[in-house]
Amino acid sequence: MNQNINISSLSTGYANKVILDAVDLSSKKNQLIALIGRNGTGKSTLLKTLAGLHPHLNGSFHFNGTNMFDLSNDKRAQLLSIVSTKASYIDNIVVKDFIGFGRYPYTNWLGIKNNTDDFLINKAISICSIEEFSERNYQTLSDGEKQRVNIARAIAQDTPIIFLDEPTAHLDLVNKIEVLKLLKELTSNQEKTIIYATHQIEYAIQLSDELWVLNNSQLNSYTPSQLIEQDILSQVIDSPSIEFDKTSGFFKIR
Amino acid sequence: MLVFSAKALFLPTMPKLISNNISVSIALLCLIVLILFSLDLFFGPANIPFKEILKIIFSNDSVKESWSVIILESRLPKAISAILCGSALAVAGLKLQTLFKNPLAGPYILGVSSGAGLGVAIFVMGLSFIGISVQDISFLSNFGVVFASFLGSFLVLGILIAVVNRLKDIMTVLVLGVMIGSIVTALIGIIQYFSNDVQLKSFIMWTMGDLSSVTNTQLLTLTPIVIIALILSFLLSKQLNTYLMGEEYALSIGTNIKKSRILVISITAILAGSITAYCGPIGFIGIVVPHFARMLTQSYDHRLLIPISALIGISLLLVADIISQALQLPINSITSLIGIPFIIWIIFKNKKITNLN
Repeated sequence: MNQNINISSLSTGYANKVILDAVDLSSKKNQLIALIGRNGTGKSTLLKTLAGLHPHLNGSFHFNGTNMFDLSNDKRAQLLSIVSTKASYIDNIVVKDFIGFGRYPYTNWLGIKNNTDDFLINKAISICSIEEFSERNYQTLSDGEKQRVNIARAIAQDTPIIFLDEPTAHLDLVNKIEVLKLLKELTSNQEKTIIYATHQIEYAIQLSDELWVLNNSQLNSYTPSQLIEQDILSQVIDSPSIEFDKTSGFFKIR
Repeated sequence: MLVFSAKALFLPTMPKLISNNISVSIALLCLIVLILFSLDLFFGPANIPFKEILKIIFSNDSVKESWSVIILESRLPKAISAILCGSALAVAGLKLQTLFKNPLAGPYILGVSSGAGLGVAIFVMGLSFIGISVQDISFLSNFGVVFASFLGSFLVLGILIAVVNRLKDIMTVLVLGVMIGSIVTALIGIIQYFSNDVQLKSFIMWTMGDLSSVTNTQLLTLTPIVIIALILSFLLSKQLNTYLMGEEYALSIGTNIKKSRILVISITAILAGSITAYCGPIGFIGIVVPHFARMLTQSYDHRLLIPISALIGISLLLVADIISQALQLPINSITSLIGIPFIIWIIFKNKKITNLN
């Protein structure tokens, strides 16, 4: 039994829209998992539901045998961190203090950091290679730099699971690849389980260990080779204007 | 002496929070507060030598009986009211700006002060409809006014918080606050129309209230309320810091948003409400001071911003009181004259501020 992630009969959605309908899914931990699906299928809602930020209607989400839905906010914050699409507008904050927000679940009522906190903040800074701007004001950073800092904040939270919602959305090509490679390293070197929602399916196929495909309120997991061999993408992306080329692993415009 | 005490207070518990520059700023602010407090006691129609003022306060003996009365019954309570009022409004404003993610939020502009007014109007005039006269029991009415203004402020904040998530633009929130303020004023007008002369008079007297109308007995109620609420505000610093990241992030790092939001709203309503109950509405201190505090400290951190805002708020209100004393103008006019140009400057400085979230 090596399946550390267990989602069973999970349903979620809004008053007038079903996002997930009784979904069952199991995966191994310490993997880079890409969550793909068309706009509006509910990738963000799925991540929010699993992170406890959106109420689930039914079902459970077990990690290492713990039902994450049973945990209180502060206990969950020690197992799961998020990097959301929403940017934070905070005036007057240096990068190091921003990353320090990741230590909030562990600090006392006044938020005073001890040596462990400082150690983990510095470790997160070095993992993400952001030493050169760790003392700069967060608002002065470029989008690519900000995203590395956001990821460092999640790393400082020291959780086995990290969720990211479209982490490469506003980045240029180089930054996209570097962020994805950073995520990949985290799963192999830092024992993180990372689930990220993305539209960059071509990169996801190359880098991810597993792809979760969200389509018609159902969620299924595939390895990259299964995804290509079983021709899943042409079912998910059923459009006359685009086709997936199995041999190159890229989409082609018809 | 002040330098040492400020360092002794903050340094051992927060070694990394307070840099040298900031402890110097805190010490300087304490000194400024002390000087302004003395000036506030010194200035007035009666010319009392400073040495005599010290004698009256510390040994309670004086050359003239009338001097003693002026200092102890008028100038000292007024200066203490200025301290309470300045710190309470500044800290209330800071918390509202964080809570609503809005650099222009403040107790006055969001209608929180008007809400307090409605509470008092219902308490003073409305109770007579059901046959209770407030003047019968002065002790009860003292606490009653505070509690009524707290409920009024809490109600307005509750309404704003309930709708704020559906609004994407911070200007809309401000317009909503102004509209709530107008509705409340209209309601007060209706209550006034239906009240009898005695009730109306005691309410009008209340609305004309300012720092000088706070008596020594009332200070015995107001002082502990404000001090406790300020301490509680400081204790919520960590939660307030997490709000800065946005609601989702705050939840994801373990903040109990629902619980802490109710706490923040309650304490803010106590601060803004109790001050409005005793000193009447005093505008713009709550908006302006947190910006001064952020500029001075270059920090986001409420553990610093709360004490610094309190000190700046105290200084600004003491200055406003000294000016209003010298020019014989109501203090609310002075705070508006200081505050509004600054607010316009904030609007021009951050053109991006209409962006909520």
